Amino acid sequence: MEFRILTKLFISSMLLLGFTSCTKEVQIDIPGYMDQLVIDGSIETGQPAIVLLSKSNNVYSPTNFQAYLDGFVSGATVTISNGVQTDTLTEICSDNLPPGTEEIAAAFFGLPVDVLVNLHLCAYISFGMIGEVGKTYTLRVIHNGSEYTAATNISSPTPLDSLYWKPEGSYTDRGFSWVKLSDPSQSGDSYAWQVKLAGMPNFKRTFNPFFNDKFFNGQTFDFAYENPMSFDDPNGDPAYRGYYKLGDTVIIKLSKIGKSEYNFFEKKYNQMYSGGNPFATPTNVPTNIKGGALGIWVGYSPWFDTLVCQ
Amino acid sequence: MKIVLSFILILSCFFAAAQTKVTLSGYITDAIDGEALTDVKVFIPSLKVGAMSNSYGFYSLTVAPGKYSVEFRSMAYGSEVKEIDLSKSQVFSIELGSKVNNVNEVVVNVKKTENVTSTKMGQIELQMDQIKTLPAFMGEVDVIKAIQLLPGVSSVSEGGQGFYVRGGGPDQNLVLLDEGVVYNAAHLFGFFSVFNADAVKSVNLIKGGMPANFGGRMSSVLEVNMNEGNMKRLKVTGGIGAISSRLTLEGPIKKDKGSFIVSARRTYIDIIMKAAISDTSPFAGSSYFFYDFNAKLNYKLSPKDRIFLSGYYGKDVFNFSDKKGGFGANMPWGNGIAALRWNHLFSDKLFMNLTTTYSDYMFKFGSQQDEFRFELASGIRDVGAKVDFSYFPNPTHRIKWGADYKYHTFTPTSVTAQNDTTVFDTGAAQKLYSHEAAAYILDEFDLNDQLRLNVGLRYSAFAHVGPFTRYIKGDGISTQDTTIQYQKGDLIKFYHGLEPRVSMRWLLPDNSSIKAGYAYNYQYVHLTSLSAVSLPTDIWFPTTDIAKPEKGWQGSVGYFRNFFNDKFESSVEVYYKEMKNLIEFKEGALPGDNVNDNTDNILVFGEGRAFGIEFFLKKSVGRFTGWIGYTWAKTERRFPDINEGNIYPAKYDRRHDLSLVGTYKLNDRWTFSASFIYATGNTLTLPSSWYVQEQNLLFNYGPRNSTRMAPYHRLDLSATLYSKAYKTKTDPATGKEIDVKKKYRSNWSFSVYNVYNRMNPFFLYVDNDGDFLSGNFKLTVKQVSLFPIIPSATWNFEF
Repeated sequence: MEFRILTKLFISSMLLLGFTSCTKEVQIDIPGYMDQLVIDGSIETGQPAIVLLSKSNNVYSPTNFQAYLDGFVSGATVTISNGVQTDTLTEICSDNLPPGTEEIAAAFFGLPVDVLVNLHLCAYISFGMIGEVGKTYTLRVIHNGSEYTAATNISSPTPLDSLYWKPEGSYTDRGFSWVKLSDPSQSGDSYAWQVKLAGMPNFKRTFNPFFNDKFFNGQTFDFAYENPMSFDDPNGDPAYRGYYKLGDTVIIKLSKIGKSEYNFFEKKYNQMYSGGNPFATPTNVPTNIKGGALGIWVGYSPWFDTLVCQ
Repeated sequence: MKIVLSFILILSCFFAAAQTKVTLSGYITDAIDGEALTDVKVFIPSLKVGAMSNSYGFYSLTVAPGKYSVEFRSMAYGSEVKEIDLSKSQVFSIELGSKVNNVNEVVVNVKKTENVTSTKMGQIELQMDQIKTLPAFMGEVDVIKAIQLLPGVSSVSEGGQGFYVRGGGPDQNLVLLDEGVVYNAAHLFGFFSVFNADAVKSVNLIKGGMPANFGGRMSSVLEVNMNEGNMKRLKVTGGIGAISSRLTLEGPIKKDKGSFIVSARRTYIDIIMKAAISDTSPFAGSSYFFYDFNAKLNYKLSPKDRIFLSGYYGKDVFNFSDKKGGFGANMPWGNGIAALRWNHLFSDKLFMNLTTTYSDYMFKFGSQQDEFRFELASGIRDVGAKVDFSYFPNPTHRIKWGADYKYHTFTPTSVTAQNDTTVFDTGAAQKLYSHEAAAYILDEFDLNDQLRLNVGLRYSAFAHVGPFTRYIKGDGISTQDTTIQYQKGDLIKFYHGLEPRVSMRWLLPDNSSIKAGYAYNYQYVHLTSLSAVSLPTDIWFPTTDIAKPEKGWQGSVGYFRNFFNDKFESSVEVYYKEMKNLIEFKEGALPGDNVNDNTDNILVFGEGRAFGIEFFLKKSVGRFTGWIGYTWAKTERRFPDINEGNIYPAKYDRRHDLSLVGTYKLNDRWTFSASFIYATGNTLTLPSSWYVQEQNLLFNYGPRNSTRMAPYHRLDLSATLYSKAYKTKTDPATGKEIDVKKKYRSNWSFSVYNVYNRMNPFFLYVDNDGDFLSGNFKLTVKQVSLFPIIPSATWNFEF
């Protein structure tokens, strides 16, 4: 976070100095494009594995909606193994979804239900295997004669000690939500933070949802988190954005993830927030997939809790 | 060992030969202000022998006894001939008259034939008079921007202060202010240099063939010498510019015995910002300014002893406030430098300079977001001493030897973080301590009328000592994280090495010569940067048990020729350079990765090479002066852990670099200057492809530095209008009208930066806008340009 702050400060000061600085579109040769498979797969405790396959695109390739749809890959052979059993994932497509799964699928693809069901977007789901704590899952994808493998582990979740809400500043009915967390004594614990309001179908990530215990290994401490849903309402009062309001019921999902998976998400968010500017090292997001694909295969070990803001 | 024995043998021959000679020695100073004059030629035409004054104005010339006409020759100060009876050795100090460039000439280089006759290669001295007439960005006269116009020297980026010399990194330049090391020579993220032109006397750049008395850096030496202060009278100099003002006060402590100079400069960007941002704005309280302060005292304790005390202190302060967002940040950074020097003459042939130095550079960043507080600091501090002896046994022979020592304290990163009452574990502030020492000897001598050799040997050593905590990272499975604790004074790692330096000159007919040079260098301190441009956040880091000393060699060959009675100087130089143990951060390293860890654990090491050819043509005298410099160069890097181990171009790899500089002195009042530069665009790494993960757009970057920005070119113009230097008075003795020099003088300097408003690339990025669903998603490569055409005016005065 600090680097992003520094980066913003540097850029704003540069632009302040060059008060008439200008930006224009240019066409320039960017070598190095390779057509690569992108694997976006996850498995969490009590849930089947879901794997989405797509292709990377040249930076100058068309970026219309059809190009986005054409990027998804179907027809691959996808299996997962827990060391004892192996399950071949079933390809489920959006135009043939099992009843009742439309909203989950819509959130997964980031498309409205009515749009999604008229498209042919496919995901691979392990109906024969669900995630269990303590197990390592190996993913194998075979596509166009190439094989890609990755492994992830579902470790024990870290429980939250307590949750509370307190008003922020001069507000009496708006504030952040707080948790008390006791980090286990071993180093390297990594977490993903998601929340939703009661009644919502899907969890949403906060703005900086991945963190590890580098700065608080073994400590018990309190921290606040914002309301990411409040930014979705274009008609919402901007002054209230980020806050939970008095009376909200918040469901928290704190998932434990592995070190290499954390490395992927840390670099991903760093790239999303600071990539492209001259003050950041150009960093490719590191994958845990072997065989030349991009993306991640991640196991989540979630801990759920509920807070009523009062 | 053989080299050392050869040295001793050569030295003993010359010591023996010197027994029957007499020596003329002394100091050469400016008659008007008493400043020591460097590089004045002391020449005996009947013997065709001569010597040059050193940076303290001292010269020594040993010849056979006799009566001689001795010429003290300087193009800036004219020529004076003295009849001197040298039946025995004698001290003869001389004041040279007023500068000839008060008349209708501008003089760029006082060393006329030196271009051809000296063994110096890749060395250029710029006069402040010349620099002050060049077009100035926002009216700020800038010595570093001036040297960026020389062949073989590249700027980091648009307006940037950092400079690259012959393919070396910015940390490979040893920047000295009165022999004190300057670790960050930039203000305002690099747009202005820390050198206040009013306080600077001369600038000397050595970009190749580094003599043995310099070391610790691989690429170049930039020597900036401060004015000593007027020995004759109190003088005030100042200027009011578009973004800053300057004031300098100098004068005698005791006439012709000692003098002082104090100079201060401050920007008023913060005042402009304050006016632009209303008190009710959420950004009220945001500001930026920098200031610097130079001071120097010197005193002649005796005819043989003189002391100098120099000091510099400068700071940038950046405050940012976003009241609405509950965010505030404060970011100060700056240098503090002090040097105490003692000149002593042991004899008329043996000159000594003893220097003690203190250098400090620090960067701090503090921020607060609601209840989260974060502070970061990094820096480097040196204390050191250096002694140099110069021995002049005879006119064809000059010997130097000396030693240098520094104690470094590095603070790569010190972080504290707190959220409400929770203090985060950011580890103890990491400090690294080290000793760096060197000894050298160099001998410049003429083997015959054609061949002059400069042979030097430097021995350098470096010790990383405790206290120190070494973090050893386990894989978390078979090995766990652990630490090794070193106590104060424990020797952690010791490195040392010999650095041979050789250069030669072979005189040819037609006022020309061929020169060749070889230099081997060790570098024990490194600058590590996470960004593609130089920033104050870059971290100085020492050699450790993991980070080995950078080392490398450079070889160069050149042809030098002067034309038209030395009015034109020209040279062609070819160089090749190899560098090992270069340092970069690991791919994907983030700031903060070195918290609770050692910085060198996130570094990777590699090698580099650079080669090129430089053409230089300079006109030094006449109403019109200037130069043309062109460089063709290639600079490559190879790191096993970067770019999959493949060779890649350095970020400042530039195939073509052209600079044209011209100054025309129309008359006593008007001087016009122009500079034009053209450079191949910098390299950078851009995303070559994109993909989607969890509905987020991610980029995959192409090979390191595989994209090249558009070429950089720019024309700057300036005009300087001087007030009349003389007034007419009636001489009461003769009744005639005479010209009397005015005490009060001023000038207006008008500059236009980027005359034809070229939008030069500062950086490029891939911008994404819109979203897929609405069908308006778009990826574009965008170029950011910083400075359009910028006119400026500065008013300067002195009395």
